[in-house]
Amino acid sequence: MGVTILSQFPIDNRTGPQTIEMLTKRILALGSVQQGHFLVDCETYSSVQALGHQRSVHVLHNSEQPATVFSLLDTGTKIIPLATDGLFDLLMMKMASFYQSKKQTKAESKGPRFEIADFCVKLGTVTVSSNFKGVLVEVEYKPCVIPALCWELILEFLQGFLGSSAPAAPPAFLQNRMQEIYSPIDTIQQYLEHFTHFRKSQAPTMMMRPQ
Amino acid sequence: MEQREVRDIDALNAALNSVKVLRSNVRRVFESVSNGLRSDHGEDGKENKYILELQELLTTVNNNLREVEGSVANLTPPPGPFTLGNTTYLSQETTLERQQLYGQLVNNYKWTDKIRAYSVLAGDIFESNKFVKTHKSTNLLVNQKRRKPHAIHHNVPPEIIETFINGIGRFYNDMTVTANRPAGPNPVIQISLGRVFKAIIAFKGLIIEFVTVKSLSENNDLWSESRYKVFRKVSDHCNAAMCHFFTPYSADTSIKSYMEWLHSYITLFSAPCKGCSKRLNSNMPPTWRNFTTLEAYHEECK
Ligand SMILES: [Zn+2]
Repeated sequence: MGVTILSQFPIDNRTGPQTIEMLTKRILALGSVQQGHFLVDCETYSSVQALGHQRSVHVLHNSEQPATVFSLLDTGTKIIPLATDGLFDLLMMKMASFYQSKKQTKAESKGPRFEIADFCVKLGTVTVSSNFKGVLVEVEYKPCVIPALCWELILEFLQGFLGSSAPAAPPAFLQNRMQEIYSPIDTIQQYLEHFTHFRKSQAPTMMMRPQ
Repeated sequence: MEQREVRDIDALNAALNSVKVLRSNVRRVFESVSNGLRSDHGEDGKENKYILELQELLTTVNNNLREVEGSVANLTPPPGPFTLGNTTYLSQETTLERQQLYGQLVNNYKWTDKIRAYSVLAGDIFESNKFVKTHKSTNLLVNQKRRKPHAIHHNVPPEIIETFINGIGRFYNDMTVTANRPAGPNPVIQISLGRVFKAIIAFKGLIIEFVTVKSLSENNDLWSESRYKVFRKVSDHCNAAMCHFFTPYSADTSIKSYMEWLHSYITLFSAPCKGCSKRLNSNMPPTWRNFTTLEAYHEECK
């Protein structure tokens, strides 16, 4: 598990599959090898009125950590992350009378997964309740766990195959955690940031980037 | 001096030889006496013939004895008793198998003596082909506390290695050193370099024998490779550098230079290549460090 940077790739006037195909060609041309597929999904539950002040629980799964359920409790003022085992899903079902799943909000990003040297690249097609919303590119540099040490290295890699669409600065979520040890839940937080943004947008996002 | 020695040995050989001849002829006398009259003495005057034969044999023995006395008189007696140290006790051994130990001991001694002679020669050759392999900044570090160089660096008391290793950890505040000894007095140490990687280093005395570089989350096994390509590359460079920094006469200086060099990997993920100014080449960061300037280079750009 290393530092991971998630960024949105503008689809311009292409379709989702066309964009993925174009990026796949580029990453294969760099010498990468496809290693299966990946899936990150997110479901959001809201507390019922009886509990008073409304809170949300975002429950996410990442195929990279198949035995873990990630949950993020959003109190409105801060976000409390939690990594648990698979039983958490069952717990949420038991809590159905306090936390109810928001309809039409299931978000997921899935697509091919590539490995090249010590990098892992994932090209994700994002859908919110089965509607196509955009493309997310995830790049992980596996040997390094401190974002500040390898941000510029990852940036150079991103520029190498995203060109001018590469992000200009580290993801907002990481900016005040650059010196800390990176963990899988940090990837999840980045996904949530993007999913929240995609849910708010109506049509497939064209040129906008979150924040 | 040498000529006298040769003469002594020749005289000793001649004396030993004459003793051998004497013994063999004395044996013939006893043989003849024990056999008594034989058929080849015939029938007529056989007693006389036998006595003549015996006389002849005894005369030979007499002559031989004179030769022995003569050759022994030629020998120069050793000036004093031999000092054999503890090996003298071996001569008091009664069991047969231990009596052979002395011979083996002598062979061993000869062998060690030869090794010594050869290594003195090799040392002279190395000395005359010396070239500077340390950086200037390291000399400061060495001068701070110059330890008396040890003659043989692969056989150093564990306490010296211990203080030496602890010294490394104290000198660099971003290098944490832990040591353990899986096999006798020679330690295998783990150096954590900031939060970049850890190096597992096997020592033989004060000589670095083998290095493996791994991610901080990987195991401490010296013999298994890292699962990350970048650390496998750095491991290769570390082992090559070990040969570069090795100097036969000052193992401590060479380790200090080596540590200074290893420490420069603190920028493994962040430093751009001095050759091409990029961070990535074939999707790898600059994994090589110049031995004297400590600058970062891609393997292909050095
Ligand atoms: Zn280069």
